[in-house]
Amino acid sequence: MVEYTDSDWNWDFYKELVDDVEENKNIIQCISCGKCVGDCPATKVSNFNIRKIIRKVLRGDMSVLKDSDIWYCYLCERCKRVCPKDNINIPLLIINLRNESFKKGYGPRYNDLRKYVEMSEKFLTNGTVLEDPLEGGLPPERIEELNEICNFARIKYVFKASKNKTKEKKKKKS
Amino acid sequence: MESFNLVLNLDEIERQYPENSLDYFKDKKLCLFKACLEKYFPGVRWGIQDLLEELQLNISMCVNQSCCSGTFFQRNLITRAQFSAINERNLNEMNQVAEIVLFSCNGCYNSLLRGREFLKIPEVKKKTNKILNRLKKKGIGQNYPHKYDILENLNLKLLHDLDFLYLIRNDVLNSLKFDLKDLKVAIHYGCHYLNLSRDKRNVEDYIRNKTKLDELVTLFGGIPVDYQERESCCGWGASQLLINPKEALKITFNKLKSAESVGADFLVTPCPTCLYTLSKPEYRDKMYKWYGDKLDIPTIHLNELLAMLRGCEEERCITLRRKTPRLDEIFEIITRE
Repeated sequence: MVEYTDSDWNWDFYKELVDDVEENKNIIQCISCGKCVGDCPATKVSNFNIRKIIRKVLRGDMSVLKDSDIWYCYLCERCKRVCPKDNINIPLLIINLRNESFKKGYGPRYNDLRKYVEMSEKFLTNGTVLEDPLEGGLPPERIEELNEICNFARIKYVFKASKNKTKEKKKKKS
Repeated sequence: MESFNLVLNLDEIERQYPENSLDYFKDKKLCLFKACLEKYFPGVRWGIQDLLEELQLNISMCVNQSCCSGTFFQRNLITRAQFSAINERNLNEMNQVAEIVLFSCNGCYNSLLRGREFLKIPEVKKKTNKILNRLKKKGIGQNYPHKYDILENLNLKLLHDLDFLYLIRNDVLNSLKFDLKDLKVAIHYGCHYLNLSRDKRNVEDYIRNKTKLDELVTLFGGIPVDYQERESCCGWGASQLLINPKEALKITFNKLKSAESVGADFLVTPCPTCLYTLSKPEYRDKMYKWYGDKLDIPTIHLNELLAMLRGCEEERCITLRRKTPRLDEIFEIITRE
């Protein structure tokens, strides 16, 4: 574990996260008991360690946003359940950290995002993430609603990437 | 907003209808939430739909309902406000056709509850409203139905299939043609059922195991078996299986191995995403390649199991896509006269 000195301590990062998601303020109650780590599926198969992540956030260590660790969470909410404190919402903190990581340009690996191309395309053209539902996809005029809701969302960029890819394929064929 | 909590109050129904909880649903309009994975596993839908029709309940599907979008929210591809707006759109649409929505998927159920929960945060609510208003403005033209609002006093209630089936278990039992014939069953609730609704100020609620599925299996004539990985994740982990398959499948492998090692005949789950992870043949092959054990213990969704026990035709119970000799064997044992 990284050893910190007193001069490393600052609350700016924590305040930034709380500003964005108020519920994050509750992580200050963390007593580092480790129940979350002991019960975490991701910890069993990777270096993901929520206690370490919370410690970094509370120390103001923004390197956590560059760590690939934050992308290993399974969002199973087990930690939220076993945490002895009442209102610490670790999955939400992770989603928030990932968001900050995206905003600062670190984000997930490009190859990881590519796995969502097909699902994004299905959602924005059919209203589902897999094949058509049993009753068929959404009517076209209702699809526009989903597109409007998702304006400026990352899902749109992933979708656009898929469209460009299809165009390239068509060009190659012709 | 008074109606943050959209979960149907089951204790209240049991109090009001001590003789038969099914009576509560008789004059209600029910809607089945369309889960994306139903296309892969049609038995998940038919299992519950056929039962409800036999019980002469008033059911419908909401054609304008979209996917819950949990997949995209969990990977930060949409914001909380966009996620909540998609949820509110779905709630608005379903509110027009139903009073109670039934869920066959833990993920969809969790999404709808979480989307509403986010609206407690004023900033998210404001942004969600803004998105929905933008839809209305565009609705002045021809395309949008000009009707999406955050419904402050929403009467629509949400109900997980497992909770519903447990509540009306006696009527379910009466509808069965076969029983489980003492088959040993490993129960897998799935994280987004197991880890929800824990009130930490209520010690009993916080600590106690969830047992409804165990009780249903016992009632159907099976024997729930305890296994070490009972409460562990299936391995899907909000798409971790797509991104880090080797690590995620290790979790899946441990779960299946643990169930097999205590002699379970099959696993049962109330979630199609867990079912997908725990049963997909390609995943089984990868586990064999990476971890050296060929695991052929089948996994069955609760609704599929129900269809089998009710004597439905095989193709209406279990999709042919994942037929295996062990699954055939289970089907044959259950449906033996």
